[in-house]
Amino acid sequence: MTTTRQPMRDATQDIRTVQPTGAPPNPWQVFARTAGTIWSNGKARLGLIILAFFVLLAIFAPLIAPYGATENGFDRSADASPEHWLGTTAAGEDVLSQLIWGAQISIFVGLVAGALSTLVAVLVGLSWGYTRGFIADVINFIVNLFLVIPGLPLMIVIAAYLSGGGIGMIIVVVVITGWAWGARVLRSQTQSLRSRDFVTAAVFSGERPFRIVFREILPNMTSLIVGSFFGAATAAILAEAGLEFLGLGDSSIVSWGTMLFWAQNSNALLTGQWALLFAPGLCIALLATSLTLINFGVDGISNPRLREGKQR
Amino acid sequence: MTSVTAAPRGVDADPEVDEKTEAPPSRSGNPWGYILRKIGLFLLTLWAAVTVNFILPRLMPGTPADAALARLAQNGPVSEATKAAIEAQLGVPTGNLFEQYIQYLGQVVTLNFGVSYTFYPQTVSELVSTALPYTLVLVGLVTIIAFILGTLLGVLAAWKRGTWLDTLPTVGGAFMSAFPYFWTALLLLFFAGYVWRLFPTSGAYGPTATPAFTWDFFVDALYHAILPAVTILITSLGGWILGMRNTMIPTLGDDYVAFAEANGLKPRTVALRYAARNAILPNLTSFGLALGGVVGGSILVEQVFGYPGVGYLLFNAVTNQDYPLMQALFLMITLSVLVANFIVDILYGVLDPRTRR
Amino acid sequence: MTTLLDVTSVTIDYINGDDVTHAVRDVSFSLEKGEFVGLVGESGSGKSTLGFAIAGLSKPPAHVTGGQVLLDGVDIASLSPEQLREQRHGGVAMVLQSGMNALNPVRTIRNHFRDIFEAHGHIEKDRWDARAAELVQKVKLPATVLDRYPGELSGGMRQRISIALALSLEPKLMVFDEPTTALDVLVQHAVMDTIIELQQSEGFTALLISHDLGVVLESAQRVLVMHDGEIVEDAPAQSILNSPQDDYTRMLLSHYADPRADVVELPGFEDRGKRAGKPRAEGAVHPPSVHGRERRSDQKPIVVENLTKVYPPPRRGEAEVVAVDHVSFTLDPGESLALVGASGSGKSTIAKLITAVEKPTSGSIRFGDLDVGSLRRGQFRRLHSEVQMVFQDPYAALNPLHTVEYTLTRPVVNFTKLRGRDARRRVLELLETVGLTPVEEFAAKLPHQLSGGQRQRVVIARALASDPQVIIADEPVSMLDVSLRAGVLALLEDLREQWGVSMLYITHDLLSARIVTDNIMVLNQGRVVERGDTADVLRNPQDDYTVQLLDSVPNPRRSRVA
Repeated sequence: MTTTRQPMRDATQDIRTVQPTGAPPNPWQVFARTAGTIWSNGKARLGLIILAFFVLLAIFAPLIAPYGATENGFDRSADASPEHWLGTTAAGEDVLSQLIWGAQISIFVGLVAGALSTLVAVLVGLSWGYTRGFIADVINFIVNLFLVIPGLPLMIVIAAYLSGGGIGMIIVVVVITGWAWGARVLRSQTQSLRSRDFVTAAVFSGERPFRIVFREILPNMTSLIVGSFFGAATAAILAEAGLEFLGLGDSSIVSWGTMLFWAQNSNALLTGQWALLFAPGLCIALLATSLTLINFGVDGISNPRLREGKQR
Repeated sequence: MTSVTAAPRGVDADPEVDEKTEAPPSRSGNPWGYILRKIGLFLLTLWAAVTVNFILPRLMPGTPADAALARLAQNGPVSEATKAAIEAQLGVPTGNLFEQYIQYLGQVVTLNFGVSYTFYPQTVSELVSTALPYTLVLVGLVTIIAFILGTLLGVLAAWKRGTWLDTLPTVGGAFMSAFPYFWTALLLLFFAGYVWRLFPTSGAYGPTATPAFTWDFFVDALYHAILPAVTILITSLGGWILGMRNTMIPTLGDDYVAFAEANGLKPRTVALRYAARNAILPNLTSFGLALGGVVGGSILVEQVFGYPGVGYLLFNAVTNQDYPLMQALFLMITLSVLVANFIVDILYGVLDPRTRR
Repeated sequence: MTTLLDVTSVTIDYINGDDVTHAVRDVSFSLEKGEFVGLVGESGSGKSTLGFAIAGLSKPPAHVTGGQVLLDGVDIASLSPEQLREQRHGGVAMVLQSGMNALNPVRTIRNHFRDIFEAHGHIEKDRWDARAAELVQKVKLPATVLDRYPGELSGGMRQRISIALALSLEPKLMVFDEPTTALDVLVQHAVMDTIIELQQSEGFTALLISHDLGVVLESAQRVLVMHDGEIVEDAPAQSILNSPQDDYTRMLLSHYADPRADVVELPGFEDRGKRAGKPRAEGAVHPPSVHGRERRSDQKPIVVENLTKVYPPPRRGEAEVVAVDHVSFTLDPGESLALVGASGSGKSTIAKLITAVEKPTSGSIRFGDLDVGSLRRGQFRRLHSEVQMVFQDPYAALNPLHTVEYTLTRPVVNFTKLRGRDARRRVLELLETVGLTPVEEFAAKLPHQLSGGQRQRVVIARALASDPQVIIADEPVSMLDVSLRAGVLALLEDLREQWGVSMLYITHDLLSARIVTDNIMVLNQGRVVERGDTADVLRNPQDDYTVQLLDSVPNPRRSRVA
């Protein structure tokens, strides 16, 4: 492009560049600033607080829960009482204790499946964005195929073939169906970054493609990757709960999904035990909301226009 | 399917030299190239989806066919023809993989998926064709309503940025889109069905009604569809609000919006014809892709409400290990989503003049 | 004459939380009816901020914190949003810098006009189409463009459309904010002509905001010079030109010259003809590098023969684009060759081909025993250790996340045997060579902490890290403020002379080509139309295209106003 362009400016940036002196920020400061940006967003702050609550609940479940998760022998299908704040299940287990222990499964699945999906998305997205020609077209087709094939039905079918696989199976299924979206987002960002002059300049500096991808391009996509992690974790938590609710997971473990599975199978609707229906679903919804809320702050890092503040 | 046309290749610059010598603007509006490309891509994706459906059972450990045949035998003697059909479909190695594949393609084309184990002797095709209309109408209508409503709320939120008209739909939307489908369904069923007894608790129509094209049946079906519909609406609305808000906000900063304001256009015109009209384009693509999620969610909803659509049927097929039914249902669900995506792609082409080039 | 616009003590601040920047400080001036006034300043001077405030379009974070703007005696701050909106008909209209992006991509041009007529109701509905056709004809476009979408029009056409749209408001005052800077040089010239003609025929008052004093002096009757948020000079164009009062104005003026003149001198540059071989007179800005090239003897030329590059059609059904068409030339060791042309002439494509970023369709590029056209990815280092590139946009050419030291260390490590402390010493040397001192301090900085000129020096230092024989400079100063250009050009010139590096200088700017190159090639649509000694070609151009390019160079001494 050889069009003359105005020396860099636009109407809103028509101010002298401030040139602070002193030491450059080290990685920790960058991290702190990123975290600060997220924290400064009211919605994201609420999300972080909710997430922290559930993480602490999961870690300290053995200390907090009044009873064991599968400890039965209490009155069956009892209503709330001082001993059992949320009542008991049809099998005579304490609902509150199950709820607290159940946090472990959701958070574990969310973190692991979210991280694995993101890892696949980063690897596919970056290499796909950096290659051109026929191979890129083939990957494009495969990713689009994974995007249009409806996830949950595919999960159900795979889970049906792999019947009784437990948590591991659920994670695998969630990752298989969940990586494509992130890959597409990261690919288009990689493509836009690779056409930037600083990437061409890195080629001129004698850098190898591997280093260009991981040292020049990848660090410029941090917020997108963080965002796609939270997105994938949210989807994983909801998918895991859905599969377990359908009885396609291991229904002997205690998780929020299986609690609802047993609640429905033991006709909690008819017995009127609303706490048993209400509480696990609310926990899933809150945990998933917290991740969505955090993403409001993450969006603000990558796209300053989305930052909070009155605009008009 | 990516609808956005590929960026032009790195040519030196617009071949825009002296304007006096510049060629008169070319009328480029030939939509057929775009449509033909999309049809081609649709057919290719369709073939790939059909093939995935063929490969999937063959990748899995054990042969479902053995389990299936054992199960079918409980219903009485199995004819050789049925046995052969099941084996072909489920990957019992008769002939090489290629022959099986050809045989399978033949079945798909003729929509002959054999006999259901669970609902013997009904054929899979009969079962699917009974269930499909319920899901298509329910999910289709609700999704369109949710998309329109959510998009409008998203436009409003972005336009009134920072006010309660923004905060309420955004935080509310984030919260609602985090609801598990089945939980919303359970709560609605519990309160509106059992506690307040406002709506029926299961089925697509009352025990006395028979499906027919009559007014009475229509009212009855509508009455039964309200709770599932509200569930899908509540749970999917938030996503559309957030999606539209997030594309609308950057669009509001675009130069053509600034110029429209500088020209003194009415705020409504700027918001709708300039900002929203452009911001909706990327959302349309996500609409097609998110559809798969809604269809998945509807499976859970149908299961809770005992609503006899494809989701309910799929759940039954899975719990009863009814593989032919499962495979056919998965194919039909995928097919529906593919067709919906194709329609969205065409709509995109209509709405964005840039695709006509 | 009567006063149309009266600006009194206006102060505009950028407010980001607690962080307040004064963009415009206590500015007062007035515009008479029918005047054509230029507002000139470099980036960061606050000129656009002021323009937006006059049009009542200030948006957060910009806030008008003091003073008042009276239009026909009415304080625009006193108007309600709805009154302000209605006032846009018959009030202030604005044409934006990014006029090419100022049109809604999904609406036809006709609908753009209709939206305006509908919003203000000043044209009878049955006259809408006729009026729209009339307006596009005023900006010299055929009425057929009304049925086009913006994407189907060229940048120049789109900018003309946005001028016509602004005109449709029947404004008393038109504010043009850098109306031509985003356009190609030749198109710029034509659009500016249209603006000047329109102002005379339609009789509106015009305020032309520009970074280019040359453009402003060519067209305006009166000029306001803005620097650091203040108006430092307000005088008729003739007196600015002949007797500038302010030092800043004088400095800006000193950077203009006519490339056709017999003797061309800019601050820091003596005329090339006079110095003939001697080092640049005041070349002491940078200490001569201790690492000056010693292997002068084994330097190799770049030989380009019949180079052709054809791109596939940009859109289906169109012809393929011949970007470079059978170009041959040789760049000798130590030579400085200019490659000039407007956009689309293929000059940047040649740069990409020589540096192996793109592959030629046919023809050959030889550098010593290297056949550049057939290099594979793995062999790039061999080429890039000798042929380096300086990019146009210093803001895009540096990774925002890497410190200057990291950016410079990478090529040192990749191309030399220096490691650890030696590599660091080399990096600091490079910084000293490009004049970024204190070196330790600059090494630790991130790109956003540097100004445009400083960034471009880092980009040049990076290009030098491998001790190359050839530097390809692709419009190295076109994104910089006028006052910074001479410094960067002087640096390139010194490097060439002291290090013996040969330079391919790619530009549309004939003045800078005249200053830093010995030989020149003029490219039009991929073909070489003229070549020779730079001074000779520019003084006696033979090809029409070269003449057109020369005419488009802003020249303060050539007023286009009748």
